[in-house]
Amino acid sequence: MSTEISALHRKQKNEALVEVCSVRVGITLFGIPIQHILEIVGSARPQPIPLAPGFVGGLIHYRGDVLTTVSLRYLLDLPPLDSAQDVLVLESAAGCFGLQVDSVGEVLTVSGVDFEPNPSILEERRRALLAGAYKLKDSLLVMLDPERLDPARLDPARPGSAPRPDRAGPTAAPAA
Amino acid sequence: MDDLTREFLIESQEGLDRMERCLTDLEERPQDKELLGEIFRSVHTIKGTTGFLGFKRLEKLAHAGESLLGLLRDGKITAGATLITALLHLLDGLRELLKTIEAKDNEGDGDDSALIARLEELQTPAQNAKAKNAVAAHPAREADAAKAGIATAEPQPAAAVPIHTPAAPPHPIPAPTHIETQAPEPAEAAADAAILTPAEASKSRAQGAASESTLRVDVALLNRMMNLVGELVLTRNQVLQATAADPNMTLLSRRLDMVTADLRESVMKARMQPVSNVFSKMPRLVRDLTHALGRRARLQMEGQETELDKSLLEAIKDPLTHAVRNALDHGIEPPAVREAAGKDPEGTLTLRAAQEGSHVVIEVSDDGAGMAVEKIRSKAIERGLLSAERAAQLGERELLQLVFLPGFSTAAAVTNVSGRGVGMDVVRTNVEKIGGKVEIDSRLGKGATLRMRIPLTLAIIPALIVRSISQSFALPQGALSELVHIPPDRASTAIEWMQGAPLYRLRGRLLPLVFLDRLLMPGRECKLFSDRDNFIAVLDADGRRFGLIVDSLADPEEIVVKPLNAVLKDIGLFSGATVLGNADLALILDPGSIAIKAGVTMSSDEESAQAVEEDSESEAARMRYLVVEVTGRQAAVPLADVLRIEQLPLSRIEYIGYRPVLNFEGQLLPVEDSGGILAAAQGDPEAQVVVVVCRDGNRHVGIAVSHVLDVTSGGNLFEAGTGSRTEGVTLLKERVTSVVDLGGVPPLPAHEGAPQGWQQTAEVLG
Repeated sequence: MSTEISALHRKQKNEALVEVCSVRVGITLFGIPIQHILEIVGSARPQPIPLAPGFVGGLIHYRGDVLTTVSLRYLLDLPPLDSAQDVLVLESAAGCFGLQVDSVGEVLTVSGVDFEPNPSILEERRRALLAGAYKLKDSLLVMLDPERLDPARLDPARPGSAPRPDRAGPTAAPAA
Repeated sequence: MDDLTREFLIESQEGLDRMERCLTDLEERPQDKELLGEIFRSVHTIKGTTGFLGFKRLEKLAHAGESLLGLLRDGKITAGATLITALLHLLDGLRELLKTIEAKDNEGDGDDSALIARLEELQTPAQNAKAKNAVAAHPAREADAAKAGIATAEPQPAAAVPIHTPAAPPHPIPAPTHIETQAPEPAEAAADAAILTPAEASKSRAQGAASESTLRVDVALLNRMMNLVGELVLTRNQVLQATAADPNMTLLSRRLDMVTADLRESVMKARMQPVSNVFSKMPRLVRDLTHALGRRARLQMEGQETELDKSLLEAIKDPLTHAVRNALDHGIEPPAVREAAGKDPEGTLTLRAAQEGSHVVIEVSDDGAGMAVEKIRSKAIERGLLSAERAAQLGERELLQLVFLPGFSTAAAVTNVSGRGVGMDVVRTNVEKIGGKVEIDSRLGKGATLRMRIPLTLAIIPALIVRSISQSFALPQGALSELVHIPPDRASTAIEWMQGAPLYRLRGRLLPLVFLDRLLMPGRECKLFSDRDNFIAVLDADGRRFGLIVDSLADPEEIVVKPLNAVLKDIGLFSGATVLGNADLALILDPGSIAIKAGVTMSSDEESAQAVEEDSESEAARMRYLVVEVTGRQAAVPLADVLRIEQLPLSRIEYIGYRPVLNFEGQLLPVEDSGGILAAAQGDPEAQVVVVVCRDGNRHVGIAVSHVLDVTSGGNLFEAGTGSRTEGVTLLKERVTSVVDLGGVPPLPAHEGAPQGWQQTAEVLG
C-alpha cells in the first residue's frame, strides 16, 4: 500500500496539516500517522516467543486478542532494552499488530510542505522500512509506514516481504 | 427491503436447496412420488408467495415450472435426464431471480421466455422426446452451464418464441388433507426439522409445533455471542484463581464456573450444523461435472449427521468443491479407460465425515487413477518448484504433498474444470486458515483420498498448562494421555539413552522423549533436574506417541484459542495463543507438529503392537487398579474410581473428633487411614502425606497411602474348592492384593450432597 501512502503524502502536500504521533527509538524521533494507531499500551512487557524470527518482540494481550509485536529496535539494529517498552497497536491491511518503541511522545501537527521522501543515499533495507521524513525546526521526524512493518511482510520466508536486516548470529530471540 | 420479502427470500432459498437435493435423487428414482411431491411443493410455495408479494416475473417462471411438475407428479410424463436438466435450469433461473431481488429489491428486467417456453414444450411427452434431440444438439451450452457450477439463467436468444398463454391444465392448489397424505418420509422430516420454514409449517398441522420451537438467528449475532462467551470464560478463569483462597467465595465461583460451562456449551451447540448442509450441494455438482467431463461416477456420502461449527462449515465449502472437481477430473478416468483397466466403468466418489476426538475428518476418495508419484516429481522439477537433487531425496508421501504447492498441476491439459493448478493450493490455504490440516493419500491405479482434519470448534478447548523455560504453555487435553512424575532422586536414572535418543520405560514399553526446553531453546542440554521434580506428559498425536518433558505442571484450564500471526505459525510448534486465568499469555503447543519436528514417527509394526495392546487393554479395562503401598502392604484401588492423587503437607489434614478429614477444594473429604500413616507422621511438622481421592457412588473419599506404585490390570481369584470368585482381593503382579473397600469408609457426620464433578486428572506418581 505504499502507493497509497505516497498518494496520501501528495495529498498532504496540498492540504498542508497532518497529525502524527511521535515515538522515540534510540536517539531518533519517528512519526506514525495517527489514523493508523488504534491504541497505545504503556510500559508493556511482551511475552517472548521461543524460536520466533528476531524482529518479533513477543505477544501482548489487547482487548481479548493476542497480538504479535514487532521490535523497532531490532529492525534498526539497536541493542534490546531491558526495561518495559511502549507498544503502539497498529492496523494494517493484514490485521492488527503491536510496534514496540522506547517511548511514545506527543502528537505533532506537521505541514505537508515540510515533507521529503527517502533520500537516495539511504541504505536499501532502511529505505524499505521508512517512508520519508518531515523537517521539524530542530530535527527530523522520520515517518514509519505501518504496512511495511507488518510482521507478515517482514518475514523473509513469505512472499512480498521487505528485505530484512541480516545480522550475524541466530535469529531466534532467546527467551528469558 | 421489508421483513416479509426477506423472510420470503430465505424460505425460497431453503426450498430451492431442498429441490436441488431432490432433483439429483430423482434421476435415480424417477418414479418416487415423495420426491416429486417435495419438488412440486418447493416451486408451488414460491409461486404462491410471490404472487402475493407482486413479483410478476418470478411468478410466471414458477408457474411454468409448477405446471410441468404437476404433470410429472400426476404421472402423466416421466422424468428423464432432459427433463431433469430443464428443471435444474428452472432452479437456476429461480435462484438468479431471488438473487436479483435480494440485491436490488426488484426482479430486474430480464426475459425468461426461452426457459418458460422450454418448460412448456416439455409438457407433452412427444415434445419431451423432441426436446431431447434439441438439447443433444447443444451440448456445449449445457456444458457451459455445468461448468459455471451455478449456472445462470438460460440465455435468451429466442425472443421470437411465442409465449403461450397458459393453456396448461389449471394447477391444483393442494388442500391441506392432500399435503398430509404426502407428508415427507420420516428421515426427510428429521433432516428438515432444522430448516423448517414457517410457510411449510403453517400448511401442515402436524409440523406446527416444531415451528413454534425454532427461531431464525442471525449468524453475526451467534458470532458475537461466541466471542462474548470466550471473554466470559477468560474472566471466569481469573475469578476462579482470585477467589481460590477465599472459602466464602467458593460456592459462588463454583456456580459461576458451572453456569459458564453450560452457557458455552449451549452457544456452541447453537452454532453446530450437520455436514449434510454442505454435502447436499455435491450431488448436483457431481451430476453437472460428470456430464461436462464425460465421466460416469456414483456419489456415496457417509456420516452426513456429523456436526460442525457453522463458520467452519462455511469455510470447508470451497475446499470440498475443489476436491470433488479434482477427483472427477484427475481421479476418475473416462469410462472407456476404466473398462480397459478392468474396472467398473462407473467410478465411485465417496464423501465421508466422522468425528475423531476434537476434530472432524472429512474425506473425499475416488477409485480412479490415483496420482503418479514420478509424474509429480518431474512436474515439480519442471515448474522449478524443487531442485532435482531435493526431489530425489523426497519420499513418496512427501512428494504427494507437493500437489498443494501453488501453481502445481499434473493434468496433461488444462481443462475448464480443473488443471490450472490453483485448486489444491486453495484447498490447503482454506483448510489451514481454520486451523485444519489436509493430506493426500494415493495408490496408483486404485484411487486417491484427500483428507481434511477440521477442528470441531475454533474457540475453546480444555488444556493443561505446563511450564518450561520459565514460561507457561498450554497443552491441549485431547492429545494428552497421561502424566508421569519423576521425583528428584530418580532424575538421574529414569531416562534411558539409546545412542543419544532419550527413552522412558513406561509400563514396560519404551517411550521416545522430547525435551520441551531443548526444543524451544536449541543448544540446551538434555537432562532431568535432580534438584526438583520433573514431569513427562505422555502425548498421543495422530498415532505418534511420545513423552514431552516439562518443568512443572499447573492446573488444567479451559482456554480460549486466539489465532497467531502467520509469522509465528511458521515456527511450526504453536497452534495459537491464549490468555490464562492469571492474565498471563501462553502459547498453545501443537503436539502433532512437535512430534514431526522431533522426528517421532510410528513404524507400522509399532502401530500394530499398539493396536494389539489396546485391544487387550480394553478387555482388561474394567479390572485396572492403582497399586498403592500402605505401611508395607500392597493394596489396590479400582482405577476407574480414582479421581486425583494429592501430595500435601500433613498440616492440611484436620480432625472432626478422631476422624481425619481434608478440606479439599472447598469440600470436606473423609480420609481413610487404616494403615495408621497419618497417626505415625503426627508430630513431624515437615511431613507430607499422599492422599488418593476416590469416587464412591456420588461421594468422594480420600485414602491415605505411603506410596503410589503403579497402574496395572488385575486377574480374578477363585476360591479353592468352591470356584466362586473372591471379593475384596485381586491378583496383581502375581501377588494377592486386597482391594480397598471404598464403601466401607464411614460417612462424615453431616456430609452434604454430592460434590460437583471436577476435572479429572490422573497423575501417576513414579
